[in-house]
Amino acid sequence: MSDASAMIECTDVTKSFPNAYGLVAWLRHGGATPRRIALEDVSLRIRPRQLFGLLGPNGAGKTTMLKLIATLSLPDRGHIVVKGIDTAVDPDAVKTQVGLCTSEERSFYFRLTARENMEFFGALAGLGGAFLAKRINEVIAIVDLQDALDRRFDTFSSGMRVRLALARALLADPTILLLDEPTRGVDPIHADAVRRLLREELVGRQGKTVVLTTNILEEAWSVCDRVAILSQGKVVAEGAPAELSTQIGGRVRYAITFDRLSQDLIERVRALNGVLQADAGGTHAETLTVELVAGGRTLTELLRTIGANGTTVLGMRPLDDGLLELFRLTTQGKLR
Amino acid sequence: MSAMTTTMGRAGPRHSNLRKALAIFVRDARLALSYPMSFWLSWISIAGQVLAFYFMSKLIGPSKTFGFEGHESSYFDYVIVNLAFVQFQTVAIQSFQRAIRSDQMLGTLEAVLATPTSLPLIVLSSGLWAFALTAVEVAVYLGIASTLGLSLVHTNLATAAVFLLLTVACMSPVGVLSAASIMTFKQLGPTNWVANGLAMLLGGVLFPVSKLPVLLQGVSWMLPITHALNGIRGAVNGATVTQLAPDAVWMVVCAVVLLPISLFAFAAAVRRAKLDGTLGHY
Repeated sequence: MSDASAMIECTDVTKSFPNAYGLVAWLRHGGATPRRIALEDVSLRIRPRQLFGLLGPNGAGKTTMLKLIATLSLPDRGHIVVKGIDTAVDPDAVKTQVGLCTSEERSFYFRLTARENMEFFGALAGLGGAFLAKRINEVIAIVDLQDALDRRFDTFSSGMRVRLALARALLADPTILLLDEPTRGVDPIHADAVRRLLREELVGRQGKTVVLTTNILEEAWSVCDRVAILSQGKVVAEGAPAELSTQIGGRVRYAITFDRLSQDLIERVRALNGVLQADAGGTHAETLTVELVAGGRTLTELLRTIGANGTTVLGMRPLDDGLLELFRLTTQGKLR
Repeated sequence: MSAMTTTMGRAGPRHSNLRKALAIFVRDARLALSYPMSFWLSWISIAGQVLAFYFMSKLIGPSKTFGFEGHESSYFDYVIVNLAFVQFQTVAIQSFQRAIRSDQMLGTLEAVLATPTSLPLIVLSSGLWAFALTAVEVAVYLGIASTLGLSLVHTNLATAAVFLLLTVACMSPVGVLSAASIMTFKQLGPTNWVANGLAMLLGGVLFPVSKLPVLLQGVSWMLPITHALNGIRGAVNGATVTQLAPDAVWMVVCAVVLLPISLFAFAAAVRRAKLDGTLGHY
């Protein structure tokens, strides 16, 4: 039964690829082409105005999922419905709703300039004339490539190529954006700009639906409304980032650096309610790594204790190990 | 906003398709001109080929077998018109498979197929630049030959245009079938040299079909290129389409049968590639 409130609805999608080619492989497998399962019975509901993250280790099936939604691939079983349109029934109608940003660098014509590439893909998207010229300038400004617009694509760096791919996805102003690792190879400043663009402008203001694949856990946690973790072609966890974090026991870890770290302070911290672990060391000799129960007053009590000790805090930062642990546990099937 | 455009600067379907076809033409022109050495050398080779046949024809005297309907003609006139016209067969067969192969190798095929553009439009438009360039090349070819004695003063341009269109319509499906083969097997097939070999041997490009054994003449009659060359030689000698009706009818039959088959085969090849996940492979 189709969910009318879903922008993208994937139901029991299974996708496999040939694992070996040629007559010998065919004969060895009794007259059938051996196949490798890339996605197995995957069901997802992505709502309008949602920034949905697909996470998973390499080969988990993230890009395959995007290509299925973009109609570049067909499922073995199951259905994918985009804005009420079955991708198997009317792929051309689906393509008018979707902007795809691939992570492959070779998706442009190397001997054409960025502008010439954008003119070509804009025309294939059905745009033209002065409007297309104006739109190219707009999307190129969004990804900060104005100065490179008339340069040949083969002179672009990896990060610039990814940003141009993002600009191409935005060109026809689609309702849905499918972004395959849109910050891969992009420098930190532009990567941050891309994340803010997604969160604040495209989803926040323009109300687009975005499906994002990424290997960067913090990226998914900081921008996504909802995340699905894929492992070996299956969804092993799905939910809002905060919900998923609580599944590892609601633990948070901080690294606190002092001007002088005493054993007495470590013992006082360990004695606090809600402190699960406190150990000296880490990147700096005067650094204390603490693991706390998330929420409650534990962090406040910890800071008060440190203050009462008369020690100066030089720095404090949250550690991402919690996310990494979550990722490890879910992809290993130890957490559902 | 223009009456032909709708929201977001999108055109209506018909206008949009023309725009897309033009965009593919412009892309191919830009890519071709980005290799200036290759582009200009091809013009030099045209002049070289005309000169080679000019000197070769001095070894062969004029004959009625070279002329249309028993009129005496020189070998130079005979072979130059045939070779010029067979270029259209070559480009019809090669252009589609080359375009698909090029997009596979460049990695742009998935990006193109991700756009809301129909498969027939993508495939058929990918030959536009090659056809336009070939038309200009053939004009130059014939122009150079005219300075060396080729007579085109009696040419019936309408007949020539009809047979040109029919040649493209007949041979393009072979090219699209070849493109479907590339989509599936990821390598260039033997279509081009088989077609050119058949044209040279059986189609009457280098020598008249009447010189072949009777059995091979029967095979020759089946080939569209035989009728195309007969048509264009007739056009050069001032024949009307009515006079060449049997040739034209056979070519229409070939086009009507082959075009839908080839487009169906290409769509099936793309579907197969989508199922196997090999759309972007090469």
